[in-house]
Amino acid sequence: MTASPLIAVPRGTRAGRTAMDAARKRAFFEQTVIPHLNAAYNLARWLTRNGDDAEDLVQEAYLRAFRSFDTFQGQDARAWLLAVVRNTCFTFLRKRGDQPTAEFDEQIHSAADTSPNAESILLNQAALGSLHDCLEGLPLEFREAIVLRELEELSYKEISDIARVPVGTVMSRIARGRKRLQQCLAGALR
Amino acid sequence: MNCETARRLMETNDPALAEHVLSCPSCMIGTHARYYEAPPGLERKIRQSLGHEQSAPSTWRWLTIAASLLLGVSITWNVAQLRSRVDPEQLLADNVLSAHVRSLTGTHLLDVPSSDHHTVKPWFNGKVDFSPGVKDLEGFPLLGGRLEYFEGHPAAALIYGRHNHIINLFTWPSAAITGPSKQTRNGYHLQHWFGDGMTFWAVSDLNETELSQFVSLYRHN
Repeated sequence: MTASPLIAVPRGTRAGRTAMDAARKRAFFEQTVIPHLNAAYNLARWLTRNGDDAEDLVQEAYLRAFRSFDTFQGQDARAWLLAVVRNTCFTFLRKRGDQPTAEFDEQIHSAADTSPNAESILLNQAALGSLHDCLEGLPLEFREAIVLRELEELSYKEISDIARVPVGTVMSRIARGRKRLQQCLAGALR
Repeated sequence: MNCETARRLMETNDPALAEHVLSCPSCMIGTHARYYEAPPGLERKIRQSLGHEQSAPSTWRWLTIAASLLLGVSITWNVAQLRSRVDPEQLLADNVLSAHVRSLTGTHLLDVPSSDHHTVKPWFNGKVDFSPGVKDLEGFPLLGGRLEYFEGHPAAALIYGRHNHIINLFTWPSAAITGPSKQTRNGYHLQHWFGDGMTFWAVSDLNETELSQFVSLYRHN
């Protein structure tokens, strides 16, 4: 690709070349990575469950991404950016004391596994609200997998790269996440 | 039932959907969970912070350049100081003055006491490998000659008088064309010039005007 000459810099000198490279890098970054801002924000928002945190973390993630843009090999920019966003959010949540809660009590939630009468469920705004609450209520790592799969429609492989876990773990998390959503919704809509 | 059907059913508020929701809640996520869009202004903030990020290294670059310049100036200044300290002409001027003062304090002012340049000039033959210009100068009587030693070479000292003052005129062959210059040290005046492959130093406690007069007479005689 060619960088558009957005910034006038002196040419020929070493400083000029460096400035040129920097301008080119920034133009390329903005062209490649900025368009995925919504995906970045959506993921951060679902992971943190807080708009202000999400905004700060996305901004931080973009800076991190820019600094390590040299490692970008021309793969899918959205997945690459989401990995940075995800790590930024996890670091933040861990620091704040929100440990990933994937290992939360399986039995309590299993106990609620009673099939509700489908006909009794009336889908309405309340149902959508429940959907939202149930997704937010999922353990962080399940939520991450579900959001990346269902909202970003990423492949298992891409999710496994982002979350740095084997594909099998991703599949398991998605399956368990779906099951919990199902239970949660059933409970909410009954 | 697929997700697309579910989405349509959702809009028709069909209870049949409920079954699907329970069988495939993540379909509902894809179609009905909220997709948060970035708040307005976030993109601008990010672009700004990228600008700062980019200018940060450039600040360092300018600091580096400034530091290099400072270092350069410092080195130049120090070298200049060092050079001025060992400026060969100043070193020579010191030696010239010392020779002059020494000639006056000791008993060794004249090796060949004579007011006759036909005596003084030949006296240097065989003692130095050059023939100094010994001249009769109006108002500055020749008193004689002496051997000196400067810059690792023998030099001729021609001694002239002016009232009660003594003028030492030192001369020796030199490849370096330096001067003319004048300076005053410890109340002594020194004048230096170059001509015909010879370097000349005139030094005396005589006032500067009269010493200049002497130099002018010598050079144009």
